[in-house]
This record gives sequence, structure tokens and C-alpha cells, in this order.
Amino acid sequence: MASLVGVFASSHAPLMARAWESVDALRRDQVTATFTELAARLRAARPDVLVVVSPDHWVNFFLDNLPSVCIGVGETHQGPPEPWLRHLPYTSIAGHPEFALHLARSALEEGFEPSLSHHLELDHGFVIPLWKMGIDPLPPLVPIVVNTIEPPLPSLGRCLAWGDLVRTAIERHPGDLRVAILATGGVSHSIGEPDMGRIDEAFDRECFEHLRASDRERLLAFLEQRLEAAGNGAAEMRNWLVAHGAAQGKEFELIGYHPCREWYVGCGFAAWNLDGR
Amino acid sequence: MRDYWLSKLFFDLQTPAAAAEYRENRDRVLDRYPLLKPEVRSAVVREDVAALTGRVNPYLLRFYFFAIGKSEDWFLERIRKTGSAAQDGVARG
Repeated sequence: MASLVGVFASSHAPLMARAWESVDALRRDQVTATFTELAARLRAARPDVLVVVSPDHWVNFFLDNLPSVCIGVGETHQGPPEPWLRHLPYTSIAGHPEFALHLARSALEEGFEPSLSHHLELDHGFVIPLWKMGIDPLPPLVPIVVNTIEPPLPSLGRCLAWGDLVRTAIERHPGDLRVAILATGGVSHSIGEPDMGRIDEAFDRECFEHLRASDRERLLAFLEQRLEAAGNGAAEMRNWLVAHGAAQGKEFELIGYHPCREWYVGCGFAAWNLDGR
Repeated sequence: MRDYWLSKLFFDLQTPAAAAEYRENRDRVLDRYPLLKPEVRSAVVREDVAALTGRVNPYLLRFYFFAIGKSEDWFLERIRKTGSAAQDGVARG
């Protein structure tokens, strides 16, 4: 049986790549320390496969065809297309088609209908956290694209259920695979909207408290009530819900929270301590 | 409601070569989108952020003005005004 060996979450603010120095040195050092800690935990988990849950920022999908959830089942994925990420060491990224297809089959058996892609381009949402963590080479990646960009979005409850499903798929996998999950995006931010640049720190901190308390109904109720007002980028907390579901809500630990107005994002970083540390 | 052809234009301009051509000859590129509604094309030409808001995904809207060379401050000033305009509209009922 495969095992879930680590569950993590990280913001993926593009300006961490495009305008790193717009934030003062003290906070940059704090963010770097957070990424270093996250990287240490990811490395300690020694994953054979890393499932990364992120949105697609208009790279693979458009209004012509906009899946709610898409699993990347390819042997390889293409690195980020953004010109300002060309210097990243991720031109071609290995996939894990065997586990990805197992996940897809498990989903279909359980009443989920994901789209599948045999060739995804993984944009900044997928790669910025890995790059900032200094993960090179990458373990084989299985991307799960969740539409958190263009409404209507998948429901919050469904995203949590997707987490349950990912966990079930791992438990059903017959091989001796170590699987980790990284959810990216969030916390509060607003892009291309009238309140662009606004960060809702109160929301972010309450959100962390609900994740820590691990009462699913209250967490969902809180998010139903408050998520939309926290900015369109806060919709990416759906990805954190996938992680939270996969971890069965165990031992959420906030590794770092850095609200950086210069990057427009309340940057949050977390791990779920599966062994109850 | 999203405007498909406006969205398609902004989506296509994510290719650096397409954006470069657009900056060089906007009308030639716009002519390739004959189904773009005249009032929408006019708003594009006027660089009217308020008129384009809501017709296209906010991420693509922000990207478009970045691609045509507008500064972040230029965009922020205009997008934030669309919020106050909307609030004014609500206040006036």
C-alpha cells in the first residue's frame, strides 16, 4: 500500500519572482526562512510522488474548455510558460502516470469526474513554491488543477471531498509509494479587481484557526460566509481544502504567515503533521 | 457576463510574440477578431478599464494592461476607481 507521507500548503505569489525586492529585507528573510522550513519538511518526507494542487492561470485552459478539476497524467509536464520564470530549472518536469491514472480511476469509481491531461504546462502556481523551497531535482509530480480562477468554481465541500478521495486513492494503491501533497495559493488577495492589493489579515488568521480546530462543518461554514469577500485570489483556499481533506484535518500547523501588500498576497505556509507530532 | 472574443484576445496576447505585434500594430491584430463587438473594441482602443471590467476575467484584465506596457500604478488607479464607481452607483440606487 502506498502511504501519505506529507501534506503541505504554500502561497505562490508571482511577485515573489517578479518583484522579490519590493518587500523589505527583514520580511524577505522571514519568507525565506519559512520556505527553508517547508523544504526541510518536504525533503524529510522523502516522497516518491508529489501531488501538487494549484489553479491554472489561463495557460492550459480557456473559456472553450474549463474543467473544474483536471489531473495531469502525462509522463512529463512542461515547465512554466511565463517569460519571467524562464530562469527556473524546471523546463521539463517528470510526471508519474501510473499513480496519476490510479488516482483518476479511483476518482471515477468514487463518483468524481475529473478531466485528464496528458500534457500540462505548469504555471507559476505549481512551480514558485517548489523553486523558492529550492527543490531541484523535483520528485515526479502529479498535478491536480482546481478551477479557482473563473466562476462557477467547484464547491468548498467538494474540494474537501477531493482531499478524502486523494487519500483513499493513496491507501488503495498497491505499490510501495511515498506520496506527499502540496496545495498552493491563497490566502487573502485580490487580483484585477477594485480592491486589488487588499489583504484581509483577520480573515487569514481566522482561516488558520479553523484549519487548526479541524471541525469540518465549521470550517466550511466560515469559508462559505467569508471567503468571497477576502478577494478573488482567496478562492485558492479550495486547494488548501484538498490538502486538509487528504490529511483528515490532522494537526494543522501554520509554518509562516507573511502579509505582504507589495506582493498583494497574505502569504501563508502550512503543514499537516500526519504522525501527530 | 464574460465577452468571449475579448477574453480570447487577452488570452492570445499571453504569447510574447503576439503581445509584441499588438503593441506594434494594435488595429491589425484587432481586425483578426471580427466578432469583437464594436463597443468592446472601442473600449479596448480607449484603454477603458472600467468598461472592460466584468467582461473578462480579472486575471486576464490585469495581464492585458501589463502586456501592453501599462504600469502597475496606472492599472491600480483605474481598477480601484471602478470599485468606487460601483459603490456610488449602489448609493444612488
